[in-house]
Amino acid sequence: MLLRRSVITSTIFLLFFITQEAVISQLSFPAGGFSIFLIITLLWAALSTPEVAAAVGFGAGILLDLAPSTSGPLGHWTLILVLMSYAIAFFSYGDENMRGNPLSLILMVTLAQVIVLISYLVTGFLLGNSATGFAQTSITIIGSGLWTLVVTPLMLPAVAWLHDLAFDSRMRI
Amino acid sequence: MRNGGENRGRLLLVILIVSSLFLITLDLRGVNVLDGLRSGTQTALSPFQRAGNVVLTPVKNFVSDITHLGRTRNQIEDLRKQNQKLREQLISRKNQDGEIDQLKSILDLAGTARFKIVSAKVIAQGSSLAFTRTITIDAGSGNGIKKNMTVIAGDGLVGVVKEVLANSAIVMLATDPAFKVGVRVAGSQQIGILAGLGSSTANLQLLDNQTTIKIGDILLARGSINAQPFVPGVPVGRVTSVSNAAGAVTQSATVKYFVNFGSLGVVSVVVKAPKADPRDALAPVKPAPTPIPTVTVFVTPSPSASASGD
Repeated sequence: MLLRRSVITSTIFLLFFITQEAVISQLSFPAGGFSIFLIITLLWAALSTPEVAAAVGFGAGILLDLAPSTSGPLGHWTLILVLMSYAIAFFSYGDENMRGNPLSLILMVTLAQVIVLISYLVTGFLLGNSATGFAQTSITIIGSGLWTLVVTPLMLPAVAWLHDLAFDSRMRI
Repeated sequence: MRNGGENRGRLLLVILIVSSLFLITLDLRGVNVLDGLRSGTQTALSPFQRAGNVVLTPVKNFVSDITHLGRTRNQIEDLRKQNQKLREQLISRKNQDGEIDQLKSILDLAGTARFKIVSAKVIAQGSSLAFTRTITIDAGSGNGIKKNMTVIAGDGLVGVVKEVLANSAIVMLATDPAFKVGVRVAGSQQIGILAGLGSSTANLQLLDNQTTIKIGDILLARGSINAQPFVPGVPVGRVTSVSNAAGAVTQSATVKYFVNFGSLGVVSVVVKAPKADPRDALAPVKPAPTPIPTVTVFVTPSPSASASGD
């Protein structure tokens, strides 16, 4: 059972990762654009238990750290996503009002995305990454949040269906 | 049981956090294995990125065209203006090149005959609706030009100065129906009168009924007293057809002018002619025919063919 879940989840994440790197990253969206890989990671975490969310965050973080477009040290994204995935699952798990309400999920994922980016920026600065200008950074973070707000509702049904497929849960959004 | 699950979850979280920190430490310490992992990911992703690029390029171009519509339009407008400017420069350059060529050939002709000339640009052509053939040049009395002076181009006679103003002059072309010039045939020295017909050809009337003319003969201006209106020796044209009408007193012929009157850019007015007649020195040289190479083929009969014949 665990193996089946792992294989399905890994395949789904790998496909979204390739889509992100091969397609989405190549389209120059205004104001920083969005990351469907981050969105699926956070959505998946919001629909899972905290343990699964942390593990998924770890795997997704490793993939993001290995992405050619990443400039930070390996493990940077992993650390951020482990913590954020665990946190998002911790707050939503067991609260059916939160998990059963698409609007709550969308807002939570959007907020988490913004926090992820800010955390990545701050920790990156502490780890010695070069910082960009404040204005540009603000535009990117706010723009990414708005994009996530737009894209998440479009992805939510598909991600929920895939999550059900992987975990045989009977939850319907 | 619940506490046990929570503890396990926390333990997992701690392990994952420690693993992440471990990875960060390794990377910051410059462990080569991790660089290899990234380059491996890049290698694995590059075919997908290439495929994505192929698929997305038209979409990106379309979006870029739409988002940069105003800028693209301005760019197109700027390039159009540049293109127009370059075209004008090119035309001007070609025009100048043509004028230089014409001037060079005039100077060759005038130099051979030792004419003293004043060169001028053609600034206007008279309307053919007036049934006259004239041009206006940008040199006048201020440049030493007087009425009835001969006007030449690189290929030969153009016409004669008809009116002179301070800074311009009107030239009657040799094609004008009212134009008449005394000519002689280069070589045989037969004389006649050439009259314009309003086109690029003219009519020649020989004066001596004992002489004959043939196609290809070259006509030169015979010259007037004091070299006005015509200086002697200027090439005029070539005989293209000869009329042998029965009962005609003298022979007549059709002559094609050497000068192309449609492309006159620069002409020269002969302000002073030498005392000596250049005779046939200015007559254009006939182009030498290109020899056709003779190909000789030697065929040696093969031994087998001769054996079968036996």
